[in-house]
Amino acid sequence: MNTPRRNSGFMGKIMVVDLSAQTIDIEPVSPRVYRLLLSGMGLAAHVLYHRIPAYADPLGPDNMLGFVSGLLTGTGSLFTGRWMVTGLSPLTGGWGEANCGGHFSPAIKRCGVDGIFFTGISSKPVYLYVDDTTAQLKDATDIWGLDTVETETFLCSRTPGAKTACIGPAGERLSLMAGVSTDKGRMAARSGLGAVMGSKRLKALVLAGNKRIGVHNKEAMKRISRICNKWVQFQPPFLPGFLTAPVGALLRIMPWVFTQDGLLYKMLLRKWGTVSMNQISVEMGDSPIQNWKGSNRNWRFFKSLSANPDVFTKKETRKFHCYSCPLGCGGICQTKGKYAQTHKPEYETVLSFGGFVLNRDVNTIFEVNETLNRAGMDSISAGHAVAFAMECFEKKIITVQDTGGMALEWGSPDALTWLVEQMIYRQGIGHILADGVARAARHLGRGSDAFAFHAGNQELAMHDGRNDPGFALHYSVEPAPGRHTNGAWLYYEMYQLWKKVSTAPRMPLVYSKARKYATGPDKAAMGSANSRFLNVMNGAGMCQFGAFMGANRIRIFDWLNAATGWHMTPDEYMEAGTRIQTLKQAFNRKHGIQPKSFIVKGRPVGDPPMTHGANKDRSVDIDTLAADYWEAFGWDRNTGHPSEQQIEAVISIS
Amino acid sequence: MSFFITTDCTGCTACRVICPTHAIVGKKKHRHRIIDSACINCGTCGRVCPAKAVANPFGRIVAKIPRKEWVRPLFDLELCMACHICIDACPVNALDAVLQKIQDLHPYPVLAREKDCMACGFCAAECPVDAVTLEKRQG
Repeated sequence: MNTPRRNSGFMGKIMVVDLSAQTIDIEPVSPRVYRLLLSGMGLAAHVLYHRIPAYADPLGPDNMLGFVSGLLTGTGSLFTGRWMVTGLSPLTGGWGEANCGGHFSPAIKRCGVDGIFFTGISSKPVYLYVDDTTAQLKDATDIWGLDTVETETFLCSRTPGAKTACIGPAGERLSLMAGVSTDKGRMAARSGLGAVMGSKRLKALVLAGNKRIGVHNKEAMKRISRICNKWVQFQPPFLPGFLTAPVGALLRIMPWVFTQDGLLYKMLLRKWGTVSMNQISVEMGDSPIQNWKGSNRNWRFFKSLSANPDVFTKKETRKFHCYSCPLGCGGICQTKGKYAQTHKPEYETVLSFGGFVLNRDVNTIFEVNETLNRAGMDSISAGHAVAFAMECFEKKIITVQDTGGMALEWGSPDALTWLVEQMIYRQGIGHILADGVARAARHLGRGSDAFAFHAGNQELAMHDGRNDPGFALHYSVEPAPGRHTNGAWLYYEMYQLWKKVSTAPRMPLVYSKARKYATGPDKAAMGSANSRFLNVMNGAGMCQFGAFMGANRIRIFDWLNAATGWHMTPDEYMEAGTRIQTLKQAFNRKHGIQPKSFIVKGRPVGDPPMTHGANKDRSVDIDTLAADYWEAFGWDRNTGHPSEQQIEAVISIS
Repeated sequence: MSFFITTDCTGCTACRVICPTHAIVGKKKHRHRIIDSACINCGTCGRVCPAKAVANPFGRIVAKIPRKEWVRPLFDLELCMACHICIDACPVNALDAVLQKIQDLHPYPVLAREKDCMACGFCAAECPVDAVTLEKRQG
């Protein structure tokens, strides 16, 4: 399609691939859609709402799978290399989204489109190849069965310089924990969307386009990026890794909360990456221990020391930067054993296969990390499934007869690696666990649902809502529930939105801990601001770690205006965030989801409260928090549904 | 608007062969044509055209430049933040990220495949911190 070049940051088109009919179409998208819903996640919500029929089978031909890039990606802005996979989630039955970095996001736009959407089911395994002049489906029979690293290596050897996203054996076997991998181990892992890709027999996308991405004001983009970069490069000498634990202990003991400045977190990320939080989080009560029943008293300093951040950086041979990221929180580590190297495990993986299952062997964590990356399986969900199985074994719901003789003892590295392999290849007990803890509990019965912790069937992440009730709220109320990136009180503090957005409540420099655990209108305002801002970020393709440095330092609103020439205020961008949230909630309503069914129950919200440790006697009034949150969006506080008028307003955008 | 080929074209195919996006079509000894939607305005076609038959989007004829006089990127590692925007911007995959500083594990860009570089200057144009400058090749 020969259309005039845009100088507005977005490409103005989407690619729609019908795998059943083997057709590829380029469709224009109205500029009004971008202005009201941005690109990225907002664009995906717009497309998927209208094109997936109600109550469609998530693994059937009617489901659509979208790969979208952000509005700011490729515009000269920083921290804007995120891409998103979206679709009807087979795990939750509602809106599914997963977010990833690496170098795949600009590759989508360099093919001349803002998103690539797949519908139908191919009769044989295929992969999509796109370059500057062609887009075609190619036979993937030969690479079906290869792991993600092998697949990427093979495809890149055919097309040097191309960027790929692919599934591994977990996605091919339709595991509801399967994700999509890029850069040999960066994962868009959540919502089970790798299974959707597998169900369509779509092995990979290979993108080799070179289209230029025009912006309204290139010089302004660069000027803002230079200001942002100065903050990123500010990196004074820092404490050694083992001293992070006392910092966490101090945060636990103090009766006050100091509003966190994300610049401090940026320093931790630049030095160690997300593993910097390994011991801090355990000590302050942020990390769930032993399938949510333990505490920092079960995982004391000398137990968590094996996963202190220096352990990981010692194995690091180079940093890994995603596209347009000056921070470089990722890394490539050399390991001994089954694999020679792996991406540096993220905090979520380390805790999922560390304290959460009481495993102290860090080498096992490295191995499991690479095994899951190659399989294309979500390490958060997999960690939960392993912990669930271990607790079932402890309670004799699962016995050695079920496991073929393997004793699923807490903390056993052998049991852990064995279970992961079983889940990936759907063998034995792994066949049951591979679809998540909620379905496994329904299969096993005998009260095992008491140990299966999830939100709308999606496993929760390694952040404890009893320490920060914002996590419990966002696990429960988001259209794609159970994800740690959705929001928290801590995130709200670091975004410092009140410096840019008039409706965002200002946080005091210091406040009492009692206030942190209270409910009230301010919490609803904070929660809704978190969600709306996240939608703006996902529309722009921005990394949350960049945004944590504060909206006044990482000037996303200014970048958006410089890229598009829209001259919108931050409040107007936040309104776009509201529209996206409403559209996603409307998507769930269309597919029969009751928002209340996503609310987290049991241990993760302090029911019953812990009797020891950092979160002792704490419980989260999740029903009140959720009702207040829905009301802040103007939705029904009892059901969580938007009104007919609100839904009509967002679905009529065209 | 993209570059376009004028009636002076002799059909020598030099531009068609070098175009990184395969945006140029045409038979040998016949006037070639640039597919507007595939052209990325790198200008390489003009730099290699012996007939001076390529005009830029403003209608100005692009001068042929001997390859040894083409510019190449030079990276200032003091300014560079290792964001890899330049690497992504390169249409011919001529840049790589490699470790270059002692005690610094951040991989910085380097012109790994100099023969592939077409002197388009996209790396310099897209660098947010102006860490890439273009210099003439030696010899």
